[in-house]
Amino acid sequence: MATRPKYDEVEVGAEIPAQTYPVQRLNLVMYAGASGDFNPIHWNERFAKAVGLPDVIAHGMYTMAEAGRLLTDWAGDPGAVVEYGVRFSAPVVVPDEEGATIQVGGKVEEKLGDGKVAVAITAKAGDATILTRARAVVQLA
Amino acid sequence: MAPDWHALHGSVKEHVGRSTRQRLGPMSAAQFQRFAVAVGDLNPRYFDPEAAREQGFPGVVAPPLYLTSVLGWQAGPAEDELRPDGAESEVMAGVPLEGVRLMGAGQEVELSHPVCDGTDVTLEVSVDDVELKHGGSGQFLILRLLRRYLDDRGTELMRCRETFIAR
Repeated sequence: MATRPKYDEVEVGAEIPAQTYPVQRLNLVMYAGASGDFNPIHWNERFAKAVGLPDVIAHGMYTMAEAGRLLTDWAGDPGAVVEYGVRFSAPVVVPDEEGATIQVGGKVEEKLGDGKVAVAITAKAGDATILTRARAVVQLA
Repeated sequence: MAPDWHALHGSVKEHVGRSTRQRLGPMSAAQFQRFAVAVGDLNPRYFDPEAAREQGFPGVVAPPLYLTSVLGWQAGPAEDELRPDGAESEVMAGVPLEGVRLMGAGQEVELSHPVCDGTDVTLEVSVDDVELKHGGSGQFLILRLLRRYLDDRGTELMRCRETFIAR
């Protein structure tokens, strides 16, 4: 496991190492069951296309959770994230065969005191920016 | 049929400031572990009671976004009970939104206390605000909900401000 970042050593502007998270239809079906969100746009190609989408899309909150993993992996503690907000700007389209890949990066924007840092997150799938105004407050040791 | 946006805006507006409460009951490790596996986050704290206890928790801990990610706490709807846009009717906590298409636009989550196996949770949902907008593709509503998750002593575990677009 990577060394946990320490508040005193983290600098404003520091990049959080980017990560990629693959998404397959199976993840979406599992997520539907776990979240109780059974909207067919997340598992039924026919339905998704009928409502004007290019294909099945990932749940917004699934995408949010994947991007959040960047923070908990970086901080080394799932309890370190104290605030986290996103806007869903484009859907993650998940074709049956190839699936999709979510690329997530982050940057320390501000040191807030008391061991807390504000982080700006970027999340893309292919060329599409899937989250905007994605920000979090992370408690560091 | 195009909805009467002014009437819909008015009827949703009547819900602003009101809140509904739903007791979700004790959280189950198996359920939040399924969530953890689905999002590919396999921290031992979610799965191994000993690892969780070593880190100072009474039992295995739910992934941070578990509560706010769950939209339906019932057994799950039959397909013909889904709204025509595919969403679940349970989601909107009694707010009248028949005949429109709902789309989640974002969430802002504040996490105060960890949720563990067995934590008894009550969900409180209120409508913060509703705006009628005129866009290039017609009228739509922007709806902001506040969801608060409380334990059985009334302590807030987490809260989520959620924005929906209804068109």
